[in-house]
Amino acid sequence: MKKKLVSLLLTAAMVASLVGCGGSSDSGSSADTTETETTTETADTTEAADTTEAADTAETAEAEVEKPEEITIMVDGTVFTKENAQDEFIAKLEELLGMKINVIQPDHDAYYDVVGQTIASGDWPDVMILASTYYAGYASEGVLWDMTDVYESSELKQRQDAFGSTGVIDGVRIDGRLYGMPATRGNGCVTYVKQRWLDNCGLTAPTNYEEYLAMLDAFSKGDPDGDGVDGNTYGVSAAGFIGSEAPYINYLPEFYQDATSGFVKTDDGSWIDGFTQDSMKAALQRLADAYAAGYIDPTTLTNGTKDCRDKFYSDEFGVFTYWAGTWATNLKTNLEANGLDGELVALPPLAEVGAYLDRVPPVWAITSTCENPEGVFKYFIEAMQDGGEVQFLWTYGVEGIHWSTAAETLFEGTDKEKVYAEGEFHGCENLETEGTQYTKAHIDPALALVDLADDPAKTSRADENKASAELFNANSVTADLAPSTDEMTQYNGDLTTLKNQLIANVVMGEMTVDDAYAKFEADGGADWSQKIVDSLNAQ
Amino acid sequence: MFLPVFVFAIIFFYMPMLGVRYAFTNYNGIKDPTFVGLENFQKMFSMPGFWSAFKNTLQISVTGLITKTGFAVIVSIFLNEIVNIHFKKAVQTIIYLPHFLSWVVTASLFSLLLAPTGQGLVNSFLVNLGIVDSGSMIYFLGSSKWWRGTYYIINLWKETGWQTVIFMATLAGMNTELYEAASIDGAGRWGKMRYITFPALANTILTVFILNLAKVMNLFESAFVLQNDAVLDVANVLETYIYYQTFNSGAIPNYGYTTAVGLFKSLVGCVLVLTCNQWSKKVREGRGIV
Repeated sequence: MKKKLVSLLLTAAMVASLVGCGGSSDSGSSADTTETETTTETADTTEAADTTEAADTAETAEAEVEKPEEITIMVDGTVFTKENAQDEFIAKLEELLGMKINVIQPDHDAYYDVVGQTIASGDWPDVMILASTYYAGYASEGVLWDMTDVYESSELKQRQDAFGSTGVIDGVRIDGRLYGMPATRGNGCVTYVKQRWLDNCGLTAPTNYEEYLAMLDAFSKGDPDGDGVDGNTYGVSAAGFIGSEAPYINYLPEFYQDATSGFVKTDDGSWIDGFTQDSMKAALQRLADAYAAGYIDPTTLTNGTKDCRDKFYSDEFGVFTYWAGTWATNLKTNLEANGLDGELVALPPLAEVGAYLDRVPPVWAITSTCENPEGVFKYFIEAMQDGGEVQFLWTYGVEGIHWSTAAETLFEGTDKEKVYAEGEFHGCENLETEGTQYTKAHIDPALALVDLADDPAKTSRADENKASAELFNANSVTADLAPSTDEMTQYNGDLTTLKNQLIANVVMGEMTVDDAYAKFEADGGADWSQKIVDSLNAQ
Repeated sequence: MFLPVFVFAIIFFYMPMLGVRYAFTNYNGIKDPTFVGLENFQKMFSMPGFWSAFKNTLQISVTGLITKTGFAVIVSIFLNEIVNIHFKKAVQTIIYLPHFLSWVVTASLFSLLLAPTGQGLVNSFLVNLGIVDSGSMIYFLGSSKWWRGTYYIINLWKETGWQTVIFMATLAGMNTELYEAASIDGAGRWGKMRYITFPALANTILTVFILNLAKVMNLFESAFVLQNDAVLDVANVLETYIYYQTFNSGAIPNYGYTTAVGLFKSLVGCVLVLTCNQWSKKVREGRGIV
């Protein structure tokens, strides 16, 4: 009897603890609500007291849109993490916007796992950041609020149009409708070549594929690094022969040229699978030839992007296609930190390449369960690109924590020592990574879609950063955003795996291009591809 | 004390199993699931990628199980023969350590060691010995021909030490008088190993083998971190197949299909457990594993 009683008590305790666990979120909510009310009151008071410019610009028509008191946003690691003073950043944002902001920030690498779980749970945030693949899928499933009409009549559209960003916004439209708002251009990669290697080989920057191959030949067989040994370097390296996310081909554009492995829109507006085109067959042959000739780093198949960067910094290869803008400076400074010449040539696209690919940018989307989507758009999404105080915060962070104009010496006593005069704008030392500085917050100033008034980057931005970004912006086209269809859901997993497998095997000489396409047909790839293309064209 | 365990099992083991119903639906996590009967299973059985992954799972797991168990037994017997206790402890510690490295670290380490370049230690060694030419180094992790063997060796390096723990425990519990008696009877070291040590281990070997055989379908981390596009025909296993279906679709995945693959995997695993249970009862005098 005693045993039964004990077991009953233990069961009751377990059930109670489970109920307690479930109830804790409610308690949390209560606490949050209390905190929210307090913060909102404070913010409202601050807002009322301040006759800021932001308040002044509020038009009568805007007053009809109710400002939300509290919103919940779900963000990835592109927004400051807790370790990088997220609390201070959000506090400042709340002060400027006059609303309480709850942040859900899963680990960056697991972000889309958590987004999927959150969507499946039905408890959606008001706003979330979504990469293009997920954006198209969730938009087609009705998860996202259609902001087209509100956007068309907004001041944000005027600001973006005036800054020449119309094309970027059009690039994220799905059947003409807009379900998310990018904060920046998508950005893409440009090809960097080490100037010292060119000089050592007596070459100039290539302008066409023939010259490009001649350069790779010299880099792979000669002594471009000047260590006295011929043939101990490679021409080019990349993180895989094909990328894992759209636009897939952007790490080796000189070989792919006009080919792509994904779904693209033709000039007449119809969709095709780039992998099935002759241009892709030719690209695979170019890659296989270059690999066999020893121009491409043999470990490209298993390289991650960090592996590539490390090898580039240690002078193992000379041509690296990587992100335009900020990364031009990062590459330069890391080469110099290794005692190497940091001068890099950002190549304009080769004649055969035509243009680099600007990837479809991630967007800030409002979910369809948001109670006041117009208010969230007006006072959160639109404010993010107001060209003023709020955009400055999203671009550089909080003064004194992420940036400063105070006279100071950073990294004193090290070979990275930097001395800043009073009034000189500069990033503060990174709170998480010692020895580095903040260069931006969420919005990369080089990729902004709206002109930022008094942007310090206009004067303080490094030359190579500015040059590569300008080169990219002048020589890029936006990649296509393929909408999601049931057929894509059903077959694209197998199809992509098969394509990637065939590409790797052809490049490494395990099979010929013809054999690869025969296997593509035999394994059902051609059939799946056609089904997806048909579904895209039927939309 | 039965009730708390029963409630715990219901809540945490049996209620989540209700998720298997999604295998009979199309479900993307947003809209309500649509019942499609056996459609997901029909699709699964018609996919060459699925069958390739299924075959690879069985081959890699069973081969790995046999080699790991066999190697662990051999190492355990050798360890048991070491007389110097300090040396024995040192060897044991050294061979246990790789078990505590994560698979990600292990993969990075071996990617460097096996790189087909001058920086790859193994290839440099082979070139210096004149076994391979510097222009045709072996891409151990990038070639279908070499991947499986390399995978097994890496697994042996990482797990053999840990696997010896159970065998060493059995050996430690053995009656030393048996060895003394054998010595009096004129048995040498090999004779003692053959007629005393190995028979004493036989039951443990079988138990370990049977217990692990039931888990052969659970293979993800080691295969995932060591595989790449070029070796998927020999390296893609059912759990990585599910992963690619989920994250490679370029769209919101159909969780119904991936649940169907998962359910199939569980059913095969269940059959293996029951088979092993029967096998165990036969060879262990009525003692099953479940």
